[in-house]
Amino acid sequence: MSNILISVKVNGTEREVLVEPEDRLIDVLRDDFGLKSPKEGCGTGDCGLCTVIMDGKPILSCITPAFQARGREIVTLEGLNNDPLMKNIETSFRDHHAAQCGFCTPAMEIMGYDLLKKVKKPSKEEVKVAISGTLCRCTGYYDIIDSIYDVGGTE
Amino acid sequence: MGVEDLQIIMAESLKSALKEISENKDATIIANGTDMMPRIRDEGLKVEKILDISALDKELSYINVDSNLIRIGAMTTVSEIGSSNVFNGSLNAFYEVVSKFGGPQIRNRATIGGNICSATSSEDFIPLLMALDASVVLQSVNGKRTLKLNNFVIGKRSVNRRNDEIMVEVQFSKPGDDYLSGFEKIGRRNILIINLINMAIVMSLKQRRVNDVRIALNRVSGKVPGRARLTEGFLNGKEIDGNIISSAREKLAEELKLSSDFRASADYRIHLAQAILEKLLNRFREGV
Ligand SMILES: Cc1cc2nc3c(=O)[nH]c(=O)nc-3n(C[C@H](O)[C@H](O)[C@H](O)COP(=O)(O)OP(=O)(O)OC[C@H]3O[C@@H](n4cnc5c(N)ncnc54)[C@H](O)[C@@H]3O)c2cc1C
Ligand code: FES
Ligand code: FES
Repeated sequence: MSNILISVKVNGTEREVLVEPEDRLIDVLRDDFGLKSPKEGCGTGDCGLCTVIMDGKPILSCITPAFQARGREIVTLEGLNNDPLMKNIETSFRDHHAAQCGFCTPAMEIMGYDLLKKVKKPSKEEVKVAISGTLCRCTGYYDIIDSIYDVGGTE
Repeated sequence: MGVEDLQIIMAESLKSALKEISENKDATIIANGTDMMPRIRDEGLKVEKILDISALDKELSYINVDSNLIRIGAMTTVSEIGSSNVFNGSLNAFYEVVSKFGGPQIRNRATIGGNICSATSSEDFIPLLMALDASVVLQSVNGKRTLKLNNFVIGKRSVNRRNDEIMVEVQFSKPGDDYLSGFEKIGRRNILIINLINMAIVMSLKQRRVNDVRIALNRVSGKVPGRARLTEGFLNGKEIDGNIISSAREKLAEELKLSSDFRASADYRIHLAQAILEKLLNRFREGV
């Protein structure tokens, strides 16, 4: 088994990392880079909890082979810590009690962030579509939808 | 992944990908992996050698219009199709496919080439492209060949690709502005890939009469996608009304040769197909 050396920009920093052929992006992010915000729920593309941003678009890190991250730019929730829009989203999630166990929160916040970057004041319907690929087993979704919706138009 | 000594060949350009596949005919192509990765994990698909073409998005991600011919690069993603304005008007069904396709994260990665080549009998772009009589362009170091989609997708997980070829493009003529198109699918949950049935229709109305209708489904015989020619023949030249719709439903049931499996019985699938047909025809009758 031969390992593959890849260069990838992670949260703004150019990194080089040796990946195994069967590693998935989520493995490298969590185990090599210690970025724990992407969660593994299903591992098969169905739950959305492993969402990260690749070249500006949210994708699922559990079904993305690690070697496909070469030459790409990855942003996880950790990389958006100081982003004003993400700060607003986090405050809104707190105000709405939109996190219970919190397992889906990083993915939900990233999907909200992606939507609000594209649409300044989205409708509730647009918010629902944005989080339609991300599952939450605790909240029943309404608080999450309201959290994202309320940030709209505040920028 | 499936095996211990997995070999990955990473192509950084189409040229190198073609060279690699000609020298490694046993390699499995992986585009963005949204179909392949869950299969390796869930279904225990064994692969030993992978040719990764994901970096070919630089060359094969495009939607070009050459007069009437629309050409979509194999690495074009579902999201890119959704945000293009090429499909306004008579090709509106493309946006319907996109809006019913997985979740946003999947759409950002799922490629049209991967969709066609995975040919699982539930792939959503195949019926619409068949209704448009689309062709795929396959390339090898020896050149290109163009094949009608219905000669390319020949069964479940079975496509007419030579093992030294890469699919580079899908192309079709844009129907006239007076054409209407529609797509519907029924499954348990939109974001799950496995639909029970899907159907695309392209047609125009001339003096209120159906003209040049093309109806395609993910299954017409067993698990093979194709056109519903009998139903098309029946509908052409007719004015859509309640009676015509119910006769068309009968025709469709007559020509669909489906089998039952653990997801649904043949009868239920046929019933769903009839319901979709009725829904789309009613929509077209209103001119939308
Ligand atoms: C959660 C989830 C939801 C999904 N929802 C839908 C849905 O709603 N509708 C739907 O139709 N599909 C759906 N899919 C399936 C899948 O996302 C699509 O079929 C997608 O278009 C595949 O593209 P890809 O680039 O990821 O293909 P890959 O997984 O990389 O490849 C798929 C197959 O095509 C071959 N291949 C790919 N590109 C080429 C090429 N250029 N030349 C030759 N062979 C090639 C590969 O060898 C492989 O056999 C879903 C998948 C998941 C995980
Ligand atoms: S862990 Fe990736 S989609 Fe569920
Ligand atoms: S808060 Fe627990 S899964 Fe969403």
